[in-house]
Amino acid sequence: MSQQLTQIGPLSQPVDIADAASFSAEVEKEIDAHLAKYPVKRSAILPLMFVVQRERGYLDPPGVAYLAQRLGLRITDIWEVATFYSMLNTKPVGKYHIQICKTLSCKIMGEAKITEHVCQRLGIKPGETTADGKFTVSLVECLGSCGTAPMFQVGFDYHENLTPEKVDQILDSLP
Amino acid sequence: MSTEVIKVTINGQDFQVPKGARLIDVCRDKAFDIPSFCYYADLALQASCRMCLVRIEKMPKLQTSCTIICTDGMVVTTQSDEIEKAQRSMLEFLLANHPLDCPVCDRGGECELQEMTFKWGNLEERFTEKKNYYPEKYLSPIVANDPQRCILCKRCTRVCDEWMGEDAIEAGNRGASTVIGTYGGWLNCSQCGNCIEVCPTGTLLDATYRHQARPWELTQTVSTCTYCSDGCQLSLGSRSDELVRIVARDRYVNGLNGEFLCIKGRFGHPFVNHEARLRTPLIRYKKGGKLIPATWDEAVRHVAEKLDSVVDQHGRDALGVVGSPRITNEANYLLYKFATELVGTKNYAVSDANSLKAFFENLGAPLATHRDIRYAATIVLIGGEPEELQPLTGKQIRQAVRNGGAKLIVINSAPIRLVEQAAQFVHIRKGAESAAVLALADDSADELAGAKLGVDGSALQTLRQTINETQGDLIIMFAADLSAAAQTTIGQLPAALRADNRRILFHPLPLYNNSFGAHDMGLTKGAMTTSQMLDAAGGAIRALYVAGSLLPQDLGGRETALEKLDFLVVQELFETDTTMFADVVLPAASFAEVDGTFTNNDGFVQRVRQSIAPVHQAKADWIITAELATELGSDFGFAMSASAVFREISERVPAYSGLKYPLLKDESSPVQAKYTVSEGGNSAQALAALREEVQALPNDSEKSDVTPPVGNKLFEIGTLTGKVPQFHLLAEGNPRPETVRISPLYQIAGLSK
Amino acid sequence: MFIGAIGCEPLQLARVHLEDSASLGVYRQHGGYEALKKVLSGMSPDDVIGEVKKSALRGRGGAGFPTGMKWSFVPKDSPKPKYVVCNADESEPGTFKDRYLMERDPHMLIEGMLIAAYALGAKVNYIYTRGEYKYLIDIIDRALAEARAAGLLGENILDSNFSCEIHTHTGAGAYICGEETALLSSLEGLRGHPRMKPPFPAVSGLYACPTVVNNVETLTAVPDIIKLGGEAYQKLGTEKSGGTKLWSVSGHVNRPGVYELPMGYDDMEKFIMEDCGGMLNGSQLKAVIPGGSSVYVMRADQIIGKDVRMDYEGLVAGGSSVGSGGFIVMDESVDIFESTKNLTEFYKHESCGWCTPCREGTDWLVKVFKRVAAGGGRPEDAQLLLDICDNIEGKSFCPLGDAASWPIQSAIKRFPEDFRKHLVRANS
Ligand SMILES: Cc1cc2nc3c(=O)[nH]c(=O)nc-3n(C[C@H](O)[C@H](O)[C@H](O)COP(=O)(O)O)c2cc1C
Ligand code: SF4
Ligand code: FES
Repeated sequence: MSQQLTQIGPLSQPVDIADAASFSAEVEKEIDAHLAKYPVKRSAILPLMFVVQRERGYLDPPGVAYLAQRLGLRITDIWEVATFYSMLNTKPVGKYHIQICKTLSCKIMGEAKITEHVCQRLGIKPGETTADGKFTVSLVECLGSCGTAPMFQVGFDYHENLTPEKVDQILDSLP
Repeated sequence: MSTEVIKVTINGQDFQVPKGARLIDVCRDKAFDIPSFCYYADLALQASCRMCLVRIEKMPKLQTSCTIICTDGMVVTTQSDEIEKAQRSMLEFLLANHPLDCPVCDRGGECELQEMTFKWGNLEERFTEKKNYYPEKYLSPIVANDPQRCILCKRCTRVCDEWMGEDAIEAGNRGASTVIGTYGGWLNCSQCGNCIEVCPTGTLLDATYRHQARPWELTQTVSTCTYCSDGCQLSLGSRSDELVRIVARDRYVNGLNGEFLCIKGRFGHPFVNHEARLRTPLIRYKKGGKLIPATWDEAVRHVAEKLDSVVDQHGRDALGVVGSPRITNEANYLLYKFATELVGTKNYAVSDANSLKAFFENLGAPLATHRDIRYAATIVLIGGEPEELQPLTGKQIRQAVRNGGAKLIVINSAPIRLVEQAAQFVHIRKGAESAAVLALADDSADELAGAKLGVDGSALQTLRQTINETQGDLIIMFAADLSAAAQTTIGQLPAALRADNRRILFHPLPLYNNSFGAHDMGLTKGAMTTSQMLDAAGGAIRALYVAGSLLPQDLGGRETALEKLDFLVVQELFETDTTMFADVVLPAASFAEVDGTFTNNDGFVQRVRQSIAPVHQAKADWIITAELATELGSDFGFAMSASAVFREISERVPAYSGLKYPLLKDESSPVQAKYTVSEGGNSAQALAALREEVQALPNDSEKSDVTPPVGNKLFEIGTLTGKVPQFHLLAEGNPRPETVRISPLYQIAGLSK
Repeated sequence: MFIGAIGCEPLQLARVHLEDSASLGVYRQHGGYEALKKVLSGMSPDDVIGEVKKSALRGRGGAGFPTGMKWSFVPKDSPKPKYVVCNADESEPGTFKDRYLMERDPHMLIEGMLIAAYALGAKVNYIYTRGEYKYLIDIIDRALAEARAAGLLGENILDSNFSCEIHTHTGAGAYICGEETALLSSLEGLRGHPRMKPPFPAVSGLYACPTVVNNVETLTAVPDIIKLGGEAYQKLGTEKSGGTKLWSVSGHVNRPGVYELPMGYDDMEKFIMEDCGGMLNGSQLKAVIPGGSSVYVMRADQIIGKDVRMDYEGLVAGGSSVGSGGFIVMDESVDIFESTKNLTEFYKHESCGWCTPCREGTDWLVKVFKRVAAGGGRPEDAQLLLDICDNIEGKSFCPLGDAASWPIQSAIKRFPEDFRKHLVRANS
């Protein structure tokens, strides 16, 4: 049999380890508050990653360098954690990240119709970002909204019991 | 492990095993083979490959024998249909996404995955889906990577973390997309290659050996590393008369280092067959003239004549003989014999950066072995940077702390990387190590010592308290550049530190593979040191016979000394700063081409074995010396046998008495030289001398706050490492090439030669 | 969506319909923190553990381990700090009960944790919430701040000598972090890989210190156990499993939602057909997954007329298990091949990749499902799928491997016709 290959995206981005990012005093305070919760600094890695991701859009090289410095870790430590969790982005995503739940309850309650509608409206496929960088659409696993299926999350906001009309309203309301 | 014995039943047979034994080890010990990938002795348990499953009575599921500690009365089955199916299925899983490209894989033939598959696997492949694909690439000039072959046993990430303390490679992604890699895809680390060594498959590959040979074409020769004083055991892989690679793979060699080596040991060998090796003897007939190729007969005759005439004109002591900490005991011994018996000069020495003479004269406790270090209770490290200069020692210290709970005290003027493992870091001023020794020996000198060290008394008290509370082995390590007075006091320390339940051991850290041996062979007993001889060049010293080259430490600032000599003969592999002034250069054979012994910093006398015939016309150093002696009218009588030389060594050097090659045959149980341990000389006098020396130290020398970066010593370009193109890339900061698909050597021009 | 109790007085859901139910004021007006007061005014830690033991409370996270027993495994004499960690990772498909507990009644969780911390001698405690539930973390953080301001959290709680802190912690998208040891790895800032057991967390958990990990619903049961007394609480349920249980219901029913039922509620058929409002648009029941996706799928005829009792023993007898109590109800429009493919994709996505069988096995299973779905099915594929599952089940490092196998094994056995129609080559 000839070798059949499915290419998996190269994992390591060709980046040089950049100068560390810096943040406002307010953000630094937030970070200090997270760090204060734990006896071990490293424990704050996920909360801090969310802060960096919020501030910088994704875990970009300066953000990663910042995390390593702030947590006293090696760059590899940041990388191994960042790539494990599906909510952490090591590549840029759109301003609005539409995450449509595709797991069983949503699936049987009409996820396909919602996905089709969203994709048609935005002109992209799941996994893609609109050219203007405004929207990214992803299919994700169960978000704990099975009783209110189908649903999606835009960023952290839950939108449930979706219908195509409701989707239009939601998307129209995004600035 | 306790001495208590318990009973376990394996496959119906009863065995008595020590309490606390690990089931997988017990099964293997009792000849019930158990397959495994992720289990690796003395690394964190992983239990992820699921190959080692066994059935244990009263437990609901199959159990991983790598995680089970035997308990009394345990009943185990390791062979059954159910277990065989499990083993087959794990291999089937592991091979599902594997490219099955053994014919083009460097590991083919010594791949554990291949072997396990033959032994335990299913020969029919049921996986017909598309495979997940990752391209091959380079992680550094040293490490190539074919991620698709990976079985995620994570031995590599564990050795990187636990052995090296570097954590340079890790697993990224999750689930079936998990890959081993680094952030940015480029590996900035000490490039030890241990990840390559422990990889059971062809995932991490020696980039310097890529597609060079198939393992079965290579002849394996077990030998001792030629770089640092740790004396790692390794296997030289040669084909015809070429040294192709060096590994420490446990299928070939089982030395004190296990599968550990550092970058130099593993990748620093291409100098052996390098094109710059000297091809013939060379004679400079006129001062200022050129070195001209000559035959061996001619060269030896020429040297004999010249040496004769110097001795005739200026007396015996006008001829200095200089040995080397890099050549074998046999070679150094013959130089000593040549100097003392044949010539009768009192001027003989070794060109080593440091001398341990004072320490050995006052040796008050035995030497620690690397195994002792791993199981030490307390380690005091004075000066030095073992992670760069004696990397195996560095690894043993790290494991002693991480796996054994040892307390490490680092006394250093810089926060070296081992500080990460330290229970206490005594940050001292540059050059103040002898003051630290004073503080160890004399608690009434804290004020003086503290002032010179730049630390307060409480730190010194804590230090002494840790030492005084030590139960078990207390190992005192020190860099060999310690002053003679401090070495004397260190040697005498055990008398004061001795206690019940405590064993005191020493581990000095000289720089070279045979620093110990050169000392043992007597070369440090000469009237002058190498530097002193150079200073006397043209005066009391008129001719020098040098084996190897003079070290920069000796030659530095004395560049013109060699010009002042009437005659200089040098045995070397390459043209060097020393041969530049030589009247005769004799091509010497490298460690890969000779038989002999090196003595490491444990005092282990370990075999060096010939892997390939001498390159070009090179000859072993000791043979050259013997031929010169013959020409000078004295047949040493060793014929061509290094073992005959060693026999004489064992007769004449007390610490080596009773040793002979057959006893040194098994690298897995190395033999320690028997150094005389004595209560030492007058300690009050020694202490007074030390105090005087400490008083003279400056009060204001600096401390460094910067952790020396990985590779600061390891990547230094020397005569030997300079012949390895990859080292040049690393010395230049390991630049990331344009693409990681092609060897950086081909991409980064100008640096690679 | 329905939220409420059926067949019993609401305990866990007693306050969810009140206005401003998440506030401290409302919670206190309705008996909130009374249990904590009772504990701090005269009960010893052992008394508390004793009541929990008597209550026959079993962990609501999925494994159903007796909570009192788990607590008693924590070594009392250990000099190390101890931790109570609330497992609010709730990522099991079909499960969403913890979400509403935290959204509507966060103080009940805080009170439960404080009592647990008191019983176990823990000073610092964490609520590990899945990252997607960011809005819940905000709600809990607000509740924690309220509690702190009211002297219910921090130093000398309610003027006793009991001091205790609770912090929220966020996950970042990984189902495996619901597994208690993976959760602890994640909380330590590592990749969310499970750890070896033994040592169990009770002995060596967070930062290698004694740790109790409990599900949200387990901890929110604790205040009621103290208020009612262990025995009375147990009597609400069955002898082996006390109290009430929340069921998350989704899929093709008229009234999906979170239902509080007494443990041992009888009759699953009645529950679906009456309590949940019956099948959506009067469709025909085909299958139910009663315990979150990680349990055996049941055929309608295993339910209809079978009097399946809704507790641990009853569901096992009925051919499945309680799991996390996530009821996924499917009508005849669902192709069980497709639904199983969907869940297998979930497990593949969520496999942490640590161990061989789960990492490689789930990847292989998905590839087979995809090929079959694309029309490349072969009759022998059913056997292949079963065999791959058999090679994963019982051999993986953590239970996720088993969880991935059970839905497939049960689906192929119980719905062979749904597989058969995909496995006959289209062109043969
Ligand atoms: C793969 C996997 C996922 C799990 N996910 C959750 C979860 O999301 N929430 C939860 O409470 N328990 C989950 N558990 C169960 C936990 O491991 C653990 O048993 C539970 O938190 C203990 O709390 P309890 O005794 O209160 O149930 C999961 C277990 C496994 C194996
Ligand atoms: S079964 Fe193995 S790979 Fe799967 S989640 Fe558990 S440890 Fe990870
Ligand atoms: S050797 Fe036991 S699981 Fe790998």
